[in-house]
Amino acid sequence: MATEPVGSSLASAPPLTAEGRQMRGMRGRPKRLGRDTLTAYLFLTPYLFVLLVFLILTSLYGIGLSLFQVDIGFTAPQFVGFQNYQRLFEQLFTNPGLSVFWISMANILKFVIAVVICQTILALILALILQVTLVGKGIFRTIFYIPAITSSVATALIFLWLYNPDGLINYLLSLVHISGPDWLNDPLFALPALMLLNIWTTAAAFMIYFMAALQDLPKELLEASAIDGANRFQTFRYITVPLLRPTIFLVVALGTIGSFQMFDQAKFMTNGGPLNSTLTPLLEIYNAAFQDAHFGLAAAMSVLLFIIIFIVTIVQRRLIEPSASNR
Amino acid sequence: MAQVSTQAAVQPVEVAREARPERHISWWHLIVYLFLAIFTITSIGPLIFSFLSSFKSMSEVLIFPPTIFPRTWITTNYTTVLGDPAFLRWILNAFIYAFAATVLNVLFSGMAGYALSRLNFPGRNLIFLVTLAVMMIPATVTLIPKFLVVNDLHLVNTYLALILPAMVQPFSVFIMVQFMKGLPKELEESAKIDGASIWRTFYQIILPQVRPALAAVAILTFQGAWNDFLWPLVALGTRDMYTLTVGLFYFKSTHYTEYSLLLASSMFNTIPILILFFIFQRYFIEGAVSTGVKG
Repeated sequence: MATEPVGSSLASAPPLTAEGRQMRGMRGRPKRLGRDTLTAYLFLTPYLFVLLVFLILTSLYGIGLSLFQVDIGFTAPQFVGFQNYQRLFEQLFTNPGLSVFWISMANILKFVIAVVICQTILALILALILQVTLVGKGIFRTIFYIPAITSSVATALIFLWLYNPDGLINYLLSLVHISGPDWLNDPLFALPALMLLNIWTTAAAFMIYFMAALQDLPKELLEASAIDGANRFQTFRYITVPLLRPTIFLVVALGTIGSFQMFDQAKFMTNGGPLNSTLTPLLEIYNAAFQDAHFGLAAAMSVLLFIIIFIVTIVQRRLIEPSASNR
Repeated sequence: MAQVSTQAAVQPVEVAREARPERHISWWHLIVYLFLAIFTITSIGPLIFSFLSSFKSMSEVLIFPPTIFPRTWITTNYTTVLGDPAFLRWILNAFIYAFAATVLNVLFSGMAGYALSRLNFPGRNLIFLVTLAVMMIPATVTLIPKFLVVNDLHLVNTYLALILPAMVQPFSVFIMVQFMKGLPKELEESAKIDGASIWRTFYQIILPQVRPALAAVAILTFQGAWNDFLWPLVALGTRDMYTLTVGLFYFKSTHYTEYSLLLASSMFNTIPILILFFIFQRYFIEGAVSTGVKG
């Protein structure tokens, strides 16, 4: 508010000095622009507050924090340089099997690979099935989307029950004469159980992206390929998939970013166990900060996780969309 | 039904009809409907099965082989859950968080979107670019510092700790910009001639034009806040302040093997969102797509 009268009086005053002339030149159409700018920033104030404080400041704060040793409440933060990183990398190069952080990294890599591949394929299949469905398309879309909107906590509770040794999943397995494991208490099966649950919820969410993309495909091309005698599979393989590349990349990238940050089910269903087999980096970051009060170390883990996600996404882009570097 | 669908499938590609026998097409549709049936069961089966089982007794819920319908329908699971005063408080807290975040997001992202898409001012492109960039920052990176900032502001264990960071989110602003960009310039020009202020132009002329965007933002925000688990877990400290998701986590720890209670309790988290989804389906899906697909 206070800047507005200043701005307008400056603009209306004759440009005596060089400085004044320069300012007038910069402001262009004087009064209007200053007013519009002020209004615009008033409209933006709440957003800029959140953007600056909770997104930009915290990101920078996080990077800075990773260079400190912080245990809130006990001692003053102490600058330790790259020691937090050094500690993590020493663990990696000496005995990663003993370091909970690197165990969590190994877990999440398995998790991301399995989940992203399966959820992308499943999402595409769901979308394709809906694409060729003629009766009740809208109803089926609604039904398929339901796993995506139920909360991770509610589904965790439900699957806690479905996965119990005498639960539905083992019952279904027993129908085909497989005796199912105690899913969530078996170090071999706990992580796959969480993968399955995640694929179930996320495939539905990503189906929507493929549906939107399939709808936008140029119909003439598909018709032309049918006229040329291509069968459904050939059309799909040589026309549809190449045209879907940008969407496939989007789904893979969003899926990767999301899966790398898996937390809810790991905390809720297994709390990282048994034997750290479902410990994820985000859960380990949470533990390091809020159980062990190693905030600096936790921040260093966050930064490493971010860098890994970033690199993986870039590699994926190169692999899936080699021609899209101009965007 | 089969006849109608076969005809419709063949219509657009007349040539294909001669090339392929009719039987081939019906075989194809059989597969499609088989898949539809399978995915229908896997999509809603677990939820329906859990809902039915939430009316079973504690022993029946663990019977092997499982029963689909309860032998005797009981409501004690629900009365036990609701008999816990803390549980009602958690529902209230979750509602406060979700409602406040939704209202503020709609208002503030509408305002920000209006400025970024309809007003001309220095710094506009920069702010929009930063918006796109921060949408890419994983929440992981900001979790610890966000807690420390909230801690420094002495907001830990308050509603503000939940609401303040969530009150306007980059994805909401992004949706608003995308929708408002497409509106014709004449809208504001005629408003200006009528002597309307910018604020009035915003809420009487622009906002009504982007109702689908407002709905999408409202729904995505409500869903996000209602289902949020990590941030409330970090930011809240005492039992009476927990939101439903965090409350359910502690509820689970105290009733570990009482699955019938857990199922009943999970319904309080699921059913409100399902109801919203059935009412505002279109906006759920439009919103989800518009946050992901960038111009």
